[in-house]
Amino acid sequence: MRLNPLTVKKIKRFKSLRRGYYSLILMGALLLLAVFAELFVNNRALVVYYEGSLRFPVYGGQIAGTEFGFDYSHETNYRDLRDRLRAEGGGFVLMPPVPFGPQEDAYPGEFIRPRPPDFGNRNFLGTDTQNRDVLARLVYGFRNAMIFAFGFVGGVYLLGIVIGCAMGYFGGWFDLITQRFIEIWSNIPFLYTVIFVSSVFEPNLLLLLAIIVAFSWTGMTYYMRTGTFKEKAREYVAAAQILGASTPRIIFHHILPNIIATLVTFMPFLMITAITSLTALDFLGYGLPEPTPSWGELLRQGTERLKIAPWITLSAFAAMTIVLTLMAFVGEAVREAFDPKKFTVYE
Amino acid sequence: MKRSRLQFFLVSALAGAGFLLLGGCCRNDARGGFDPADAPDIYPELAEYYEEHADFFRFRTPDDIPEGLEWTDNMHLPDLGSPEARKGGVQRGSMADFPRTLRVVGPEANNAFRRFILDDMLVGLAGLHPNVEGGHQSYPGVAEEWAVDYENRTVYARLNPAARWSDGEPVTVDDVMFMFFFYQSSYINDPWYNNWYGIGNNYTDITKYDDHTLSISMREARPDLERRILNLRPLPQHFFREMGEDFVQRYQWRFMPTTGPYVITDEEIERIRFNRDSITLTRLEDWWARDLKFYRNRFNADQIRLRVIRDTPKAFEAFLLGQLDMFGMNLTEYNYDMLPDDHPLVEDGFIHKSTFYNDIPRPSWGLWINSSMPLLDNNDIRKGIHYALNWDQVLEQFFRGDYVRMQTTADGYGDMTHPDIRARPFDPDRAMEYFAKAGFTERGSDGILRNERGQRLSFSLNTGAAPFRGVLAILRQEARKAGLELRLEILDPSANWLKVQEKNHDIAFVGLNVSVERYPRYWETYHSSNAYHDAFLEDGTPNPDRRVRTQTNNMQVIANYELDQLIERYDESDSLDEMRELAFRMEEILHEDASFVPAFIFPKFRVAYWRWVRWPDDFNVRFAREPTEHYVHWFDTERRVETELAVRPGGWLARFIPGAARDIDEIPAEFPKKVRVFDQWLAVPDDVIAE
Repeated sequence: MRLNPLTVKKIKRFKSLRRGYYSLILMGALLLLAVFAELFVNNRALVVYYEGSLRFPVYGGQIAGTEFGFDYSHETNYRDLRDRLRAEGGGFVLMPPVPFGPQEDAYPGEFIRPRPPDFGNRNFLGTDTQNRDVLARLVYGFRNAMIFAFGFVGGVYLLGIVIGCAMGYFGGWFDLITQRFIEIWSNIPFLYTVIFVSSVFEPNLLLLLAIIVAFSWTGMTYYMRTGTFKEKAREYVAAAQILGASTPRIIFHHILPNIIATLVTFMPFLMITAITSLTALDFLGYGLPEPTPSWGELLRQGTERLKIAPWITLSAFAAMTIVLTLMAFVGEAVREAFDPKKFTVYE
Repeated sequence: MKRSRLQFFLVSALAGAGFLLLGGCCRNDARGGFDPADAPDIYPELAEYYEEHADFFRFRTPDDIPEGLEWTDNMHLPDLGSPEARKGGVQRGSMADFPRTLRVVGPEANNAFRRFILDDMLVGLAGLHPNVEGGHQSYPGVAEEWAVDYENRTVYARLNPAARWSDGEPVTVDDVMFMFFFYQSSYINDPWYNNWYGIGNNYTDITKYDDHTLSISMREARPDLERRILNLRPLPQHFFREMGEDFVQRYQWRFMPTTGPYVITDEEIERIRFNRDSITLTRLEDWWARDLKFYRNRFNADQIRLRVIRDTPKAFEAFLLGQLDMFGMNLTEYNYDMLPDDHPLVEDGFIHKSTFYNDIPRPSWGLWINSSMPLLDNNDIRKGIHYALNWDQVLEQFFRGDYVRMQTTADGYGDMTHPDIRARPFDPDRAMEYFAKAGFTERGSDGILRNERGQRLSFSLNTGAAPFRGVLAILRQEARKAGLELRLEILDPSANWLKVQEKNHDIAFVGLNVSVERYPRYWETYHSSNAYHDAFLEDGTPNPDRRVRTQTNNMQVIANYELDQLIERYDESDSLDEMRELAFRMEEILHEDASFVPAFIFPKFRVAYWRWVRWPDDFNVRFAREPTEHYVHWFDTERRVETELAVRPGGWLARFIPGAARDIDEIPAEFPKKVRVFDQWLAVPDDVIAE
């Protein structure tokens, strides 16, 4: 693939911005870890060697306890199996480094209360108010937040680009009316709407995404509109029109690539918005349904118990700070790399 | 200071904008801004109404009182207050929200604050003695004696001539009659009262013999006839003289004169118009019942001050700082983690903790299974769900043994509660047997059972009780063992209630509160007329075209022809023995129907309080739902000064602040530790407690 020399220049420039570049690498690594989270944080074993055969329970369906000689038909408790095989021999179980699922009681049979970090039990960040491992909930909460963030960016871009470009390209009455609509729409208090909707309907990831996107696409249209407005007057658009290109083709093939720079610079910041919105909603109790792991929920639990369980707030807060800071660094670097002026002099 | 500045600002803003100042000044009174000059007068309408309904509102002479009535006053019952109690001090509490109105009926009047001006305070004809064993006995209130004519379903009562409204007016029979008029009136905008007190419903007449003698009759002679009439509370006729079409607004912020001990003063009403961060009630020094038996040594605080603190954790912090006197410790986490018995403040005796086993009907916490939903209409599936729920683990792990399992649909009614029914325990194998009977035999790859058509055994479980989210998390996790999936929906309480009332739920986790009554109610929750429109055909077979009836408390949508008959007989019965027999039979049917999963009961209350709050030797009364409900506590002001001095620098805090020397030597830095359990009224069967 041959890249546009301008793009190559931008990438070079981005790479030269060390802080942003390393942040991106780090974020990428975190994302990769999140995608394969089951291999690191999970209550299912990575490998089970039992009665002469190897099994890999991490991915795939549940394996009933009866298959490993237990007397129950629900899913095998692999930590029990590990302890049993260790005592009796006849096989082995390799558990992930954090052997707990995000919704699982890490201290079965004991009182439900937040417990401090316990390396012996492999609760590296302690447990939350439900005896669930904080690290497991952080990891899976991060994955949910990232899914949400990518969905959010996709949704906002789709609506923002289509509507913004259409406004800029068609102009006239369409532009006028849509702009007025956007002005009204963006004045609806978004948080109240979300709270209202999610207290009436059962909130889930898609519904939340739809609501938040519905109230966030408007900002994007302004940039798309002005960009398209400017490009539309250029000769190459007129040339394309004369050649008989259809309107969508002109917008998406000819105009869009020329205004794409703006879009890219927004992306990290949009993701930050998405993560903070989701966390805020979860914190208020209007976000993802129980018992979905989420950072906001951890923060809520923790702030209500700062004195008796500080590790909950500390973990969630640290995780959030790290991820948001990394994203902000990436965003800054992208913005600078895409800035056509390398040096800006303020007078 | 703050208030007057705010007033000044408001007034000048109004003036500057060119508004009439008149509107501003007239609103500055305790009448909620309504000018008495243009007030309507209800008296002519009242007289007309009495005339029109002469059968209900009857006027007779003292000669018409039948001979041979047995008048009682139950003065032999024990006192409620402790002779050690002293008047004085301030009770400082908190509330989550400022009340939206001071009215006691009408829109938004049924709020958490109402108990301070109505439920716990307003003295009715006679109270229910909360501290005697073996039955519900009355003690004198506004009525000093009464007589029951059971055959004619009538109770006679003689009012205490000394009884006074807090504004000095005497309490007369007119006020009791007016109460009926008031509750029947459409002006109050409260259909519940209109219905309950309506002509032709529960009460059939009220008769005035003279200013202090009356009788009231009911339609049906229920075993608790006496209580149902004597718990009526007169309302001040003279105060409501201005009622009319604008009742709701006119009385929005006016304090109704009370027969009880605490009032909200005019100055306070004026203050809360601008400052809604707290509300204060003041004790009437010359309260008419102050020295009467059953009332003496109660209601001791000079003032009750309630601050708005929205979050429980914040209220708890305020309590630890000594800004609130007491804090309910019913929540497990608060009792064991937030303020454990070895917390420095408890250890050093600054804060005392008491657990009191009370003896009252228990709120019915449980899972209400909507049996009109597909799959859930199958009795085997419902029974399977019972066995798939691990309440034992909830009780042990979540509640740490504080709560006990509820066994029937109506626990805590003494001899009216079925003694033998035991709720189904957690048993995944039996659960799966039942699910298999309903066709759910195979586990899918996700571990959830499926039937032949590929349907998953999955139901939504909604609740509005967020503090119990952990309970549901355990149930959900454990139910998977039996191949049952529960999808949790934690909703806003009102949204949840709406969903349940619309019968849109699969399974709802709801607790219905109950009042202290002699026997449980069945009609509201279990009669088929609250489940479907025309549930049955003439011959008792289910109507194929029936539609679910919404907005009723039959949240299981249970329609059982035999049960209907029993409920109807129960509701007409005048014999406790017969009712008991019917109730037991109904409980058996309900147990078999398995659409209600009894959850848990909390057979006690727990409270932590600063050591200056004092209680009677036996702590509280048997029927108390909360420690302060009957106002038997008092405030020891000397102790408070002593304790506060000890807590401030120089006291225990000095341990954490290096170099802070104690400056008041004669005050001990430690007091005796007091963590006590009062189980004299423990009334839950032993085998239940033992679990």
